[in-house]
Amino acid sequence: MTVGVGAPPARGAQRVVAVVAAVASSLLLLFLAVPIGKLIGAGGLNGARQLFSDGELRQSLGLTAFTATAATLLGVLGGTPLAWLLARRDFRGRAVLAAVLDLPLLIPHPVAGIALLLLLGRESAVGGALLAAGLRVVGTPLGIIAAMLFVAAPLFISGAREAFARVEPRYEAVARTLGDSPLRAFMRITLPLSRRGLIASAVVMWARAVSEFGAIVVLTYNPKVASVLSYDRFTSFGLREALPVAAVLAVLALIPLIALRTLRGADDGVRS
Amino acid sequence: MIDCRALSARHGSFRLVDVSFVVPAGKYGVVIGPAGSGKTTLLETIAGIVPQTSGALWLHGRDVTSVVPEVRGIGLVYQHAFLFPHLSVARNIAYGAASAEVAEQVARRFGADALTDRPVRALSGGERQLVALARAFARRPGVVLLDEPFSALDPRRRTIVRREVRALHREWGLTTLQVTHDFTEAGLLGDVAILLDGGRVLQSGAPEEVFRRPASPYIAEFLGAENVLAGTARVLEERAPDWLEGEPAPLAHGYRAMEFTSGSLTLYVVGDFPAGTGYAVIRAEEIVLSLLPPDGSARNRFRGLVSELATLGALTRVTVDVEGVPLVASLTTRSAKELRLSEGTAVTASFKATGVHLC
Repeated sequence: MTVGVGAPPARGAQRVVAVVAAVASSLLLLFLAVPIGKLIGAGGLNGARQLFSDGELRQSLGLTAFTATAATLLGVLGGTPLAWLLARRDFRGRAVLAAVLDLPLLIPHPVAGIALLLLLGRESAVGGALLAAGLRVVGTPLGIIAAMLFVAAPLFISGAREAFARVEPRYEAVARTLGDSPLRAFMRITLPLSRRGLIASAVVMWARAVSEFGAIVVLTYNPKVASVLSYDRFTSFGLREALPVAAVLAVLALIPLIALRTLRGADDGVRS
Repeated sequence: MIDCRALSARHGSFRLVDVSFVVPAGKYGVVIGPAGSGKTTLLETIAGIVPQTSGALWLHGRDVTSVVPEVRGIGLVYQHAFLFPHLSVARNIAYGAASAEVAEQVARRFGADALTDRPVRALSGGERQLVALARAFARRPGVVLLDEPFSALDPRRRTIVRREVRALHREWGLTTLQVTHDFTEAGLLGDVAILLDGGRVLQSGAPEEVFRRPASPYIAEFLGAENVLAGTARVLEERAPDWLEGEPAPLAHGYRAMEFTSGSLTLYVVGDFPAGTGYAVIRAEEIVLSLLPPDGSARNRFRGLVSELATLGALTRVTVDVEGVPLVASLTTRSAKELRLSEGTAVTASFKATGVHLC
């Protein structure tokens, strides 16, 4: 049999490729899922029990949820216009702006914490001014919110940008010719059509904020969010004491993942 | 009135360059041009969606160059309708409507009133176009911009909707600009035809004028002229030659009797073209085929052999080889059958000197 250039690989070769791909995927899947499953299996029950008996854990989880929610709200508020700008407007420096917004995702998180400390610490101009206004950032929930916002907001902006980009701009164009100002067209057309993508991005941001440790520990060790508490118990009392807290934190991070799955599906009116 | 004065705009890497034309108030303009020629960008620039980079745009006597789209008084219909998918059909039509009554009236006139209970996602392409038309007209705009608005409609519905658009255009005194690929539609609807290519206006004027007197061989071929011959034109004489007797009108408008040589063919032409090299354009419907030399007044007569027959429903295109030069004639399929034409049949192709356009 003659095999021409560009002919599909033989059936045997296809089978080998399929087997290799299946094995590699399965191994990676196991590597990602097993530790989480094992963590929840080993500490989940104890963690659930401790939710009733351990006041510090409850307080820590409440603080984590509150600060993550506050950071997410701030991220949505400031990030939505930025994401729209990046998705819709072609301007000089757009690539630079996008790169700057991605930077917090790329630097080590303790380094992010140190950078924030430089900006918001009492020795800095901003931190000093905030302190003078009665707002202490370092060592307070404000520091936690700042750290969460810094590391997690880029995820929202990136997702929201994608959500806006998927809405065909000609919907807005039609709305404009039907009498809408840009803001009104955004509120009546763009926002409803990108709603699912925006909510999904906010959920991802929230989950990322909940799991943040490196930047928070530099800015605000106390009061402790769940990740810091888990680390604190691990270093003070060992694995056994850290397990229940870690398991509860993992479950808390799973909740938005489940929410995301329910939001899946095609957005209304987006480009395919 | 739509008055574009050296309008330039940029949309991504595409540019509209020095676009100038006028569609008088209450008139119907049609924009024709190949794919990617800038037709949609032109409509979007007039609507204010694509910003102008230079030039001026006047709508109904008002300079709207720096006026935002929402107050330009424009209705825009895209080929793909772009109905808002999160709103019902009824809410789409009512979106920018002048009043609930107008929305109801136009929905009825376009036949979109029967669709109001259906979700936008369930509509066919043609139904979407009906709703998009109703939505744009419900605003009672002064200027309507239509981008291939009938392309997804079946032929019967297309005729009805086209008639309705034309009726609303007339009743409401609208100025309309429509993009179309359909030359028949351009001829049926248009008071002004604008031929666009590469972001530039190649020719504009009355559709009849643009179709019959294309400014270049490229335009002629784009507009479907079947016979475009390169050659040399020569002025015969100032006075009317005897073969123009009985047809003094063309000469009265400054036209001259000319001779055009293309290869082995010599055509007689009445035109205002300067002597020299150029192109002769003869539309297929100008050429009459007969088995014997005809008795009529057609000055151009050539004997040749049928080399190809192509039947397109009621019409048949016949290619006649005249001394190596192919001439394409269009006649009714019935006539072709009556003449018993087949490949190799000897025929006379004849056409009037006024049926040849030089460019």
